[in-house]
Amino acid sequence: MSGVALFSCRACGHVWQFRRAMCPACAATDIAVVEAKGGGTVWSATSVHRAPTPDLDVAGGYGIALVTLDEGPRIMARAPTDLVIGERVTVRAENGLPTIFRA
Amino acid sequence: MAYLTGIGITAYGKHPGLQPLDLMEQAVLAALADSGLQRDALDGLITGYATTHPHLMMGTVVCERLGLKPRHAHQAQCGGATGAMALVLARHLIAAGACRHVLVVGGENRLTGQSRDDAVKTLATVGHPEHEVPLGASIPAYYALLAARYLHETGANEAELAELAVLMRRHALGHPLAQLRKAITVEDVMASKPVSTPLKLLDCCPITDGGAAVIVSAEPLAKAAIKLTGWGEAHTHQHVSEIPDDLGLGARIAGAAAFETAGRKPADVGLLGIYDSFTPTLAIFLEALGFAPPGGAGRAAREGRFGRDGALPLNLHGGLLSFGHPGVAGFMAHVVEVVGQMRGEAGNRQVRDAPLAYCHADGGTLSSHVGFVLERLS
Ligand SMILES: [Zn+2]
Repeated sequence: MSGVALFSCRACGHVWQFRRAMCPACAATDIAVVEAKGGGTVWSATSVHRAPTPDLDVAGGYGIALVTLDEGPRIMARAPTDLVIGERVTVRAENGLPTIFRA
Repeated sequence: MAYLTGIGITAYGKHPGLQPLDLMEQAVLAALADSGLQRDALDGLITGYATTHPHLMMGTVVCERLGLKPRHAHQAQCGGATGAMALVLARHLIAAGACRHVLVVGGENRLTGQSRDDAVKTLATVGHPEHEVPLGASIPAYYALLAARYLHETGANEAELAELAVLMRRHALGHPLAQLRKAITVEDVMASKPVSTPLKLLDCCPITDGGAAVIVSAEPLAKAAIKLTGWGEAHTHQHVSEIPDDLGLGARIAGAAAFETAGRKPADVGLLGIYDSFTPTLAIFLEALGFAPPGGAGRAAREGRFGRDGALPLNLHGGLLSFGHPGVAGFMAHVVEVVGQMRGEAGNRQVRDAPLAYCHADGGTLSSHVGFVLERLS
């Protein structure tokens, strides 16, 4: 398992990441916390060369990606800098941050 | 029933020593002079926020500074769409009979009022505090993710996006109030420093000091009657993590509503003022709104479609990408330009007759969309 927490609607099965008490798809309020299995597909990716804070500046940049998890939700994660859209990847929490590894 | 009757703008660029209220005041004085209205005729005010002067009550702060005693005043916050949102809100206040002359104003010393690091850091906090900001994302990074997706989906390439930056710079060249007035080429854009791939420095709008004001009235005044005939909004998500798969969805919803309320169609438009925080922002909007084919905005720019003499003149002041982006006043400069062009007051930038225009802005990461149709009635 990935250590990445998600929410799942017991009424319609919709799965998402951001904390909320009502299902965004069907408005039901019977919500379960589930753990992402970790499999996903890269939806988009970037290498950040100008960091928002100087302590984050890294030569060559650092990767951030949006990955569509197999459970459905798209989440943001730290990533290698050379990911390709459509690539299969694995997501795992590292130091509390979802992090993408090549599958 | 709602007319844009007064426009005012400062030079965009560096105004060391001037605070947000100073810039707003300059813009308001210009808008009052333009409209011919006396100060006491202003009975409504909507101001924006300023990141360099966060205040819980900017609306009344501005009223106090200007000596206004309006029947309604408040501060609107909708990111980059704030100015557009405020104009549509002003129209609603007038339609409701609550006000007759609503002043909309934004201004900020975003460039000289803080360090570059502070500016970038402040803007980055627009991301999700738990799931996005801790990853080290920034506003350019969020738009870079959308840019990469846009390129992937449409097959357009980075050089084609660069055409939009070149076009905006060409338009800014002749404008005495624009921040960036050195001609650039596609090669310059491609060779500029990477900010967040695929975005290079020249794909991104600059940080700017500046202010702009627009007066919305229940009746036309002395100048040509520019009526706000249609409006539309869409709020599809806030954080980029939750953006719909369809990048253009919000723009399409807002644009369709604006044209429907105006009783017009995109083919009626002869002039555009479209939000262009980054080159892909502009491309996504032009294509979602039907002003360029999917993936074809950059090519259309290269072929002259959006030039002064093209079929659809676009951001003739240079847009956010070259005229500059001081926050709330950023998109208001588009409106000032469009109104000036529609009145025939644009001097050496003047397009052929342009009686009908469409304007569109977004706040967040394509999150909140506001579109409106302007028509000249006299
Ligand atoms: Zn549900």
